[in-house]
Amino acid sequence: MSAGAMSLPSAGWKTFLGRRTMLVVGVSILLLFLIMAIAAPLIAPYDPILQDGASRLQPPSLLHPFGTDNFGRDILSRIVWGARIDLQIAFLGVAFPFVIGTVVGTIAGFFGGIVDAVFMRIVDIILAFPFLVLMLSIITILGPGLSSFYIAMALVGWVSYARLIRAQILVLKTSDYAVAAVSLGFGRMRIMFRHLLPNAIAGSIVFSMSDAVLVLLSGAAVSYLGLGVQPPVAEWGVMVAEGQSFITTAWWITLFPGLSIVFLAFGFSILGDALGELLGVHE
Amino acid sequence: MNRKWKSIGFAAFAAALSLSASFAEAAGVLTIGRREDSTTFDPIKSAQNVDNWVFSNVFDVLIRVDKSGTKLEPGLAESWTVSDDGLTYTFKIRDAKFSDGSPITAEDAAFSLLRIRDNEGSLWSDSYKIVETAEATDPKTLTVKLKTPSAPFLSTLALPNVSVLSKKAVEAGEDAFAELPTASSGAFTVKEWRRGDRVILEKNPNFWQADRVKLDGVEWISVPDDNTRMLNVQAGQLDTAIFVPFSRVEELKKDANLSVLIDTSTREDHLLINHEHGALAKKEVRQAVDMAIDKKAIVDTVTFGLGTVANSYIPKGSLYHYDANYQYPYDPAKAKAMLAEAGASDLSLNYVVNAGNEVDEQIAVLLQQQLSKAGITVNLQKVDPSQSWDMLIAGDYDISVMYWTNDILDPDQKTTFVLGHDTNMNYMTRYKSDKVKDLVAAARLELDPKKREAMYAEIQKTAKDDVHWVDLYYSPYINVARKNVENFYQNPLGRFFLEDTVKN
Repeated sequence: MSAGAMSLPSAGWKTFLGRRTMLVVGVSILLLFLIMAIAAPLIAPYDPILQDGASRLQPPSLLHPFGTDNFGRDILSRIVWGARIDLQIAFLGVAFPFVIGTVVGTIAGFFGGIVDAVFMRIVDIILAFPFLVLMLSIITILGPGLSSFYIAMALVGWVSYARLIRAQILVLKTSDYAVAAVSLGFGRMRIMFRHLLPNAIAGSIVFSMSDAVLVLLSGAAVSYLGLGVQPPVAEWGVMVAEGQSFITTAWWITLFPGLSIVFLAFGFSILGDALGELLGVHE
Repeated sequence: MNRKWKSIGFAAFAAALSLSASFAEAAGVLTIGRREDSTTFDPIKSAQNVDNWVFSNVFDVLIRVDKSGTKLEPGLAESWTVSDDGLTYTFKIRDAKFSDGSPITAEDAAFSLLRIRDNEGSLWSDSYKIVETAEATDPKTLTVKLKTPSAPFLSTLALPNVSVLSKKAVEAGEDAFAELPTASSGAFTVKEWRRGDRVILEKNPNFWQADRVKLDGVEWISVPDDNTRMLNVQAGQLDTAIFVPFSRVEELKKDANLSVLIDTSTREDHLLINHEHGALAKKEVRQAVDMAIDKKAIVDTVTFGLGTVANSYIPKGSLYHYDANYQYPYDPAKAKAMLAEAGASDLSLNYVVNAGNEVDEQIAVLLQQQLSKAGITVNLQKVDPSQSWDMLIAGDYDISVMYWTNDILDPDQKTTFVLGHDTNMNYMTRYKSDKVKDLVAAARLELDPKKREAMYAEIQKTAKDDVHWVDLYYSPYINVARKNVENFYQNPLGRFFLEDTVKN
């Protein structure tokens, strides 16, 4: 049996859904989580960290739609509050690398020569390490916590953006309008950030959507390992980790936060695809 | 494609057949699933339960602890006498052989005792510094002279780490012996050690109680994930598994093929307090912390009711446990008032938690909430277990949960570590009390059991009043075995009596 027989025809579901539908679905999912995060105090039926010894390990019921965990905390409330943390992770975990990578990539691509060589060797060095291992070592040195996670993300994640932008800039800087801008005597900063960057950035924006998925999952992984969000704060990755020992007896503790991660990641991913088609970027 | 599937199906069927055949052949070999694999077979070079529990079935000791874990009984020493001044011990060695057929002599026993005292790699030398000389006065008589009288000395001889080893086999190559001992004095011999995977033991036909051993062999198999290990027993891939998580007991009890074995242990979980950090130096503040902790809730939530609330550092059922010891009531309001009186109403504590340890993390989340009711802010700091130990030793913490299981029957060992002002700053707490220190030293020399018991009661009362740490709960060993396994038993000190285990 060949491997091809097992996998779906590539991009089949994209044509099935259509570009517009994908965009709508992706945006709706993100909006849904965003509203949930903002209105958490209004939506959540219980206090997410309140322990209730009398109602431990309750299966889903009308009282607790997603059940309770081993401390008697309401899973639904924890997921709703957790959306705040996880959206923050997805946003900040992408924003820092995006900005750093874009600036570095633009400079490296525009100036070329020694500047380019130095930056790209740094990129090579960082890429030489496995992503998660490097992340974990940096967080271990800085001490566990979300801020360490963001710093590590910024230190490690920018390289992909830098490479993307640099490649675009290299092509664009020889284009007619760039040459024209130079001959008109515009300053370097203006040419780089006003003329070249807006045309080069589409690929990065699309990539940032799929990167958000990766960041979200690494955030969950890092918290799962005890290096990210610290208890008793509700975060989906932590919730999955805490529920692991009860997986055969109380499946709801792990299932619902796990589904939330998958669902949000799906939203980002589908939005990324739609944006790619819309902006004419082919990955 | 169709034909391909057929052949795959046939292959799977054949594989299943041969698999069941290999299971049938393995009758008489008991498989035990545990978390970690062994680390060495040189008894003096390990202080871990994973190793000690295997040592006890590969090597025999001069004096054993009985099944109840409260009495000493003869092992390789058939009998012994103690001189009136309590300094000279004379042991008569039993007629027994090592697995290689050579006789076990007093020479081997003396060698093993001096080796644990003098060897550079020994982790236990401090416990045996009290031995002045140990010599074989004749092939069957071992004479040991002590520097001072010592009440706990005989019970330290029951430690698996001071097992009688073959002098010849060890001297032929220490490192090779640690990998695969060529001669063993216990019920089983080591046939093979697949590092990181399993230890394969085989019945020792030369064991002096060989007729007592029913099993042909034992395999200690490492299955780190708790859920997988339980599933393996439920599916019959393992005969037994140890370290059953508290949360799984109820469910496993419902499985008609399994028996859940709950054996008394000496495990005590406690909350270490760093006495050198700020307000924690005040006795009243520590008492308030103790009062702000609802131990019953921990027993219910974390141990699912399988543990019992602890009231002394000497576990219930152990020698000299003082059952009438004081227990601070759970009273967050009073705790809050006491903190205010001591000028520590804004107490904020750094709590070092072992990341990845299910029980530790659960206790941390519970304690954080409980202490907050008394106005104490707790910052949890999850760190890797290897790092947390270093932090405790360096005093880089305010509170942290640890546990202790006794290695010997006598309370002296734990007491010395925890309250005796030994080398480890009273088990990292930095507790200081000259009264307790003197009592611990005196109790070690006191040979009258009645007087010793009174001294230990006094120690337990004083330590409790000072809140040297907060006693949380005692918990049992929880193992699971398939119904066809009988006599799979662990005594309170952790020794498995595999020489009595039967697999039908």
